[in-house]
Amino acid sequence: MKKKMLSSLLVLGVAGLVLSGCGTGDKKSSETAKGDKKAEEVEVWLTPQWKGVQSPTEEGADYDSFFKEAAKKYNEKNPNVKINVQVIPGEQRSDKLSVAAQTKTLPDIFFDSSFALSEYAHMGILTPLNDIVDEQSKKDIPQSIWDNVTINDNVYFYPFGHNPGTLAYNADMFKEVGLDKYIGEEHDIATWSVDDLTTILKTLKEKNPDVAPFGLFAKNNQGDTWNMSYMRMFGNPFFSKDGSIILNEESGEKALTYLNDIREKGYTTKGAESLTSNDVNAMFQNKQTAINFTNSVLFSGIQKDMEDGKVDKFDMRLANIPGEKQPISFTYVTSSVVFDTGDKERMETAKDFVKFYSTDAELVKASKNTLPVRESVSKEVATELPYLEAYNKNSDYVINFSNNTPGYAELRNAFFPELQAVFTGEKTPKEAVDNFTDQGNRIIETNKKKSVILK
Amino acid sequence: MKEGNKRKQVLGELKSSLTGYLFVGPQLILFILFIVYPVLEGFKMSLYRQTYTEDIFVGLENYKELFADPVFIKSVFNTIIFVVAIVFGLFVATTVYDKSAKYISFIRGSFYLPVMVSMVVMSMIWNFLLNPANGLISYLLGNVGVDDVNLLGSSTWVMPTIIFVTFVGNVGQSIILYIASMIGIPEDYFEAAEIDGATRWQRMTKILIPLVRPTTLYLVVINIIAVLKIFVVIQLLTGGGPNNSSVTMMYYLYQNAFIYNNTGVAAAVGVLMFVVALLLSIPQFKAFGNKK
Repeated sequence: MKKKMLSSLLVLGVAGLVLSGCGTGDKKSSETAKGDKKAEEVEVWLTPQWKGVQSPTEEGADYDSFFKEAAKKYNEKNPNVKINVQVIPGEQRSDKLSVAAQTKTLPDIFFDSSFALSEYAHMGILTPLNDIVDEQSKKDIPQSIWDNVTINDNVYFYPFGHNPGTLAYNADMFKEVGLDKYIGEEHDIATWSVDDLTTILKTLKEKNPDVAPFGLFAKNNQGDTWNMSYMRMFGNPFFSKDGSIILNEESGEKALTYLNDIREKGYTTKGAESLTSNDVNAMFQNKQTAINFTNSVLFSGIQKDMEDGKVDKFDMRLANIPGEKQPISFTYVTSSVVFDTGDKERMETAKDFVKFYSTDAELVKASKNTLPVRESVSKEVATELPYLEAYNKNSDYVINFSNNTPGYAELRNAFFPELQAVFTGEKTPKEAVDNFTDQGNRIIETNKKKSVILK
Repeated sequence: MKEGNKRKQVLGELKSSLTGYLFVGPQLILFILFIVYPVLEGFKMSLYRQTYTEDIFVGLENYKELFADPVFIKSVFNTIIFVVAIVFGLFVATTVYDKSAKYISFIRGSFYLPVMVSMVVMSMIWNFLLNPANGLISYLLGNVGVDDVNLLGSSTWVMPTIIFVTFVGNVGQSIILYIASMIGIPEDYFEAAEIDGATRWQRMTKILIPLVRPTTLYLVVINIIAVLKIFVVIQLLTGGGPNNSSVTMMYYLYQNAFIYNNTGVAAAVGVLMFVVALLLSIPQFKAFGNKK
């Protein structure tokens, strides 16, 4: 018996030796060329934004075209820097970054909507970019955008373009049932009151019962910015001045009650609790719904599909989310972040590259694929963007929907289950807003404690 | 003198057993590297809060946080229901034995077919069938006048629906294994029992069931572990909804590890799952194992 133990220990000892050899993590080497300190390798990740450098009609246009072109231009002056570009599917963003952060293999740059990356700022793994924001850019980009990308006086996201969220509606369906007076101009964003919306939905339902008037969804957190915006229809600000959630006020409850009422009356898509935003978006394109959520990229994507014959053509126009006091609009700021990888030189190079493509006169024009954040670019490409003026007029209604709060990702996942509970009759709107407020504030508190940058 | 002899004996025995240990060595090293070490690391992680810049020792704080979260309690409850339902469902597999040879192949084939399909593909197909707005099932029901059926959107029906989908996907495996072990039972036993006047029920309970006990044990344990790890179906069909009605421990772990970046809490869930698997498996070994 003893000998057996002895032999086992021997094997275990060998295994232990092998294991201890695995303990030393490999750090990515930043030395590429012999002895040249300036030689760096920069890893850029992005979620799909637009295809091509300037336009999806270019030959071989893909999601990484812009960054490959930017890298090529950057290499003209900095030949020692090697830039690798990788496109990550949006739904894998958090998984990939979470694993990368835990295994110390973070990319140097990530290009995405700022709200989706704010989590990482609070974790303390983003490096502030204040030193690469010059005076000219400060003036060229509106203050509302800077507010969106600043936490605690530090700019963590270098704004490149933005992507406003509104509603889209099928104007043909409106005409068919005599709702002409609610149709806005072709390139305008129509503004309806809450009562207008009720009338529109009621008329559509009565005169065209085969179509769901309003696309409602709550299966997961995708597209929840619209659902959270509906909560503001009766003037609830969602967040208080001190950053806590105040959805349990009367105005919040009223908004959720309204949403549930139109659902109960059959004015929305059936089974919203198990429909995703993708499902509803497909239904809108198949003329199964009349009013749908949209943003500028989705909208132009549908327009392009209509031109290409992938989707049956119909007269599609934009509208604001109605509000009792004023309409609600929000925008996703597409921006770049630089991760704090601990390698100072690499971080400097990464910052330099971000500054390069975010300020280069030719490259910034690519922001017309979303909407330019720079007024100078807006002026230059105005003729190519028929909706630009309407979006600019709308900028007064833009809210900072995420409040850059710590724990926003977790808040999103606490919100849609409450909607599901209301839609399935398990909770009253009051119970749901109360519960979400309690839970949400607990999440914010916990994440404030965890936040590295709020200390 | 005696000492020298003893040492020689020990060395001799060590030598003779060393060959054996050398054979299992590589496998053992891999086992320690990829199973034992991660498990221990998981235990350790569950006692820390990680903030990318540092690991803070928090003791049992993560566990306290878990038990304060009603969603986690629900996930434990759901997981247990899931395990019990699927394990009992296994016994459906025993019914396909001893049927008319005319259609037995068809039954076996149709049960086994879903096993060959990837769970992801199957979940996507079920998702299309069950979609409340434009799915096939709601469409057909709508045509016969039953409106607003949304199985995945009902907190009462969502778990039975997911259990059914999972069951369809993995019962074929059990059927094949049961049939293989039943076919292995010598016919003489049954003939002898028949001559002695045993009823069909007695033949089942006294011969068939005891003789396939090792298979039952294997299937029960394997299925418990498989069900504990169920993730794909939930991710693709419900995302844990509606209102967390279908969150299981594995899904809860995934959310914490990859969405909220609460690795400590996720590791704590992993530790608890390990304990649950252990608690659910030990009685099986006690009941079925070592009975000669």
